[in-house]
Amino acid sequence: MENGMVEALQLLVVGMLTVFLILLIVIYLGKGLIALVNRFAPAEQVPQKKMAVMSSGASAVDAQTKAIIAAAVNQLTGGKGQVKKIEKV
Amino acid sequence: MVEIFQKLYEMTALSNIIADPSFIVMYLIAFLLLYLGIVKHYEPLLLIPIGFGVLIANFPGGDMGVLQAAEDGTIVKDGVTYIIWEMSLPAIAHDLGLMNFLYYMLIKTGFLPPVIFMGVGALTDFGPMLRNLRLAIFGAAAQFGIFLVLICAVLMGFTLKEAASLGIIGGADGPTAIFTTIKLAPHLLGPIAIAAYSYMALVPVIIPLVVKLTCSKKELMINMKEQDKKFPAKNEIKNMRVIKIIFPIAVTTIVAIFVPTAVSLIGMLMFGNLLKEIGSDTSRLFDTISNSIMNTATVFLGLCVGATMTAEAFLNWTTIGIIIGGFLAFALSITAGISMVKLMNLFVKKKINPLIGATGLSAVPMASRVCNEIATKYDPKNHVLNYCMSSNISGVIGSAVAAGVLIKFLS
Repeated sequence: MENGMVEALQLLVVGMLTVFLILLIVIYLGKGLIALVNRFAPAEQVPQKKMAVMSSGASAVDAQTKAIIAAAVNQLTGGKGQVKKIEKV
Repeated sequence: MVEIFQKLYEMTALSNIIADPSFIVMYLIAFLLLYLGIVKHYEPLLLIPIGFGVLIANFPGGDMGVLQAAEDGTIVKDGVTYIIWEMSLPAIAHDLGLMNFLYYMLIKTGFLPPVIFMGVGALTDFGPMLRNLRLAIFGAAAQFGIFLVLICAVLMGFTLKEAASLGIIGGADGPTAIFTTIKLAPHLLGPIAIAAYSYMALVPVIIPLVVKLTCSKKELMINMKEQDKKFPAKNEIKNMRVIKIIFPIAVTTIVAIFVPTAVSLIGMLMFGNLLKEIGSDTSRLFDTISNSIMNTATVFLGLCVGATMTAEAFLNWTTIGIIIGGFLAFALSITAGISMVKLMNLFVKKKINPLIGATGLSAVPMASRVCNEIATKYDPKNHVLNYCMSSNISGVIGSAVAAGVLIKFLS
């Protein structure tokens, strides 16, 4: 038991140190990669999102999205729920 | 006529079930797991195959229960001793049954958990972690529960290898727990897998409980987006796609150098992720590993784990110790993550919501979703999901590294 306890305590120290060390390396590796890529790789071309077919007066949520949300609410609430308002948070 | 009925009775499993009622307890456990999976939707993809595996493993004469080999490889069945390492796979299937064939081919070799990790990698997005790299350190803090429970388990009388397998439940990562247990204490595979997946399913209960006991309302209302506005990040990512492709290759290389025993898990996780991030060139491979292969692996993993839970192997005090120890490991891991955030908040200007520490254990993405719900309960505009995902994903790496350390030192 005593031997086991000593080994268990050693494992605690070695294990936690290793986990912290590896994740610190991962963090700094990530930071280094970001710096390198920002410097040498061309900036990503984000494609312009196609605007939904919406007239200027239309609501922010198109009919198809509304229908999908309503169907999901209907499914989850067994037909009892109702969608009154859709708001983007 | 009586003799015929007597023979019929002996042919069925009934005679053995009546002679040993412990089988009935196992059926009840199987029904409970199936109920939780089917009706309560608790981890249905795992609990349903495991529950069914338990059911079919416990019919005497069915030959569907997994027989655990002793350390020297001996298995005794119906009075005959077999040395498993000297048997060919067809001989295992013929003499010990189909489930032993699957178990010794797919599980005991440690084949399935890394395959599942590959699928998990394909479904993981490292974007939130790369955007909030400093939060990834909480994925390390939350592994503390693993090692603390290891010590508690040794005090309770478990051997070191058993204690390590029990502690790894605190990593909240099913494949990692299974992989470690196969390597260190295969006779405990059934109860440890059940405990790991059950507590993962209970994350929406366990995290709020620990958070309630350890965090104040003021701490939970720390708004991460406002903190970001006050103290903006120095480096903005200009080309995420390139970083996401290089990152899995770089992490695998680094982990392989420092903890080679973790490579089978981390390497496969990162390989799956790389296939996803490359995009259209590897989309067919990505589709295969994230659907067909992962689903096939999950089916066989679940069934085999369930089949290890025979009445003889499961109904004992060790199982109860594992159930208690597993909960303790989970709760301590969450507490350790929260404590580290609190400690860090004492020294930094840019404050961190302690919920981000609570997600340092794996259980991706459920832990993050639960913490986001808690945060929005206190402040409906405080969405912490993306921040939580950073420590949540790093927790997967952290628990795999912890598993690698345990396997390296104890196997």
